[in-house]
Amino acid sequence: MTEGTPTAAETRRIAEVARDRVRFEEEALELSDQVFRVARRLVSSREEAEDLVQDTYGRAFRAWQQYQPGTNLRAWLLRILTNLNIDRGRKAQRSPDIQPLEEGDYFLYNQLASTMPDDNPDEEKVIERLSQNAVVEALAEVPHDFRDVVVLVDIGEFAYAEAAQILDIPVGTVMSRLHRGRRLLKKNLAEKAVV
Amino acid sequence: MGCGCGDCETMMQPYLDGMLSDEEVSEAKEHLERCPPCEERFRFEEHLRHFVRVATDEPMPDELRDRLAGLRSTPTA
Repeated sequence: MTEGTPTAAETRRIAEVARDRVRFEEEALELSDQVFRVARRLVSSREEAEDLVQDTYGRAFRAWQQYQPGTNLRAWLLRILTNLNIDRGRKAQRSPDIQPLEEGDYFLYNQLASTMPDDNPDEEKVIERLSQNAVVEALAEVPHDFRDVVVLVDIGEFAYAEAAQILDIPVGTVMSRLHRGRRLLKKNLAEKAVV
Repeated sequence: MGCGCGDCETMMQPYLDGMLSDEEVSEAKEHLERCPPCEERFRFEEHLRHFVRVATDEPMPDELRDRLAGLRSTPTA
C-alpha cells in the first residue's frame, strides 16, 4: 500500500462525501430564516438569538454526518439549538401550576369582547385590540417550559411529535404544556389588551 | 361564551393544530355548525394564532446570514 496515492475507489468516495457535505450545508442554510424565527422567541434578546443560531450552525456543520438524510432537518437543527440554549445555563423554571387559571380558555376572548360596544363583535376586530408589542411581551412572559412548546408549535409550525423530539419530552407533555402555555399567553394578552 | 360543553374546550386546540382524526374532525365540524358560540370562538382562536405568528415575526439580519455562510466547510462558489 502506497501512502498518498489513493485508489480510484477512495477518490470517488472522498468526492461523494464532499458533495454530501456541501448539499447538507446548503439545505441547512436554506432553513436559517425559519430557525432564526423560532430562536428569536425562545430567548429574550435579538443578540442572544443571533449567537444561538450561529452556534447552532457551527455545531451542525461539524456534526453533519450525524444527521440522517431523509429525516426532518429543521427539527434536527432546532434540537441542537434548544440543547445549546439549555447548556447556556438556562435554568429550568418551576411550573407555575400553583397559580390556577380558572378563567379557562375563553378568558381572553371574553375580556376583549366585553370591552367592545358591539354586542356581537367580529373576531378580527376583537384581535385588533391587541398591539404587536403586546403579543411579543405577552409571549416573552410565558415561563420557558411552556413557551418553548408554544413557540415550536405556533410559530415554528412543528407537529406535536416533532416538538416532543426536539425538546426530548413525551408527546403528552407537549400537549399539556401547549395547552397551559397558550392559556398563559392569553391571560397575559388579556392584561395588555387596549381597553 | 361557549356552549358549556367541556369537550369543545379540549378538542378546540388539537382541532386547530390539525391533530384530530378524520372522524373527530367531522364531529367537530358538525358541532361548530350547530353551535354559534363555539364557532365564533373557533374563528377567534384561528385569527389569534395567525396574529401571534405575524406579530412575533422578525426577519433574520443579513449580517447573520453572511456569518452563517462563513461557517461552511467550503467557500461558496
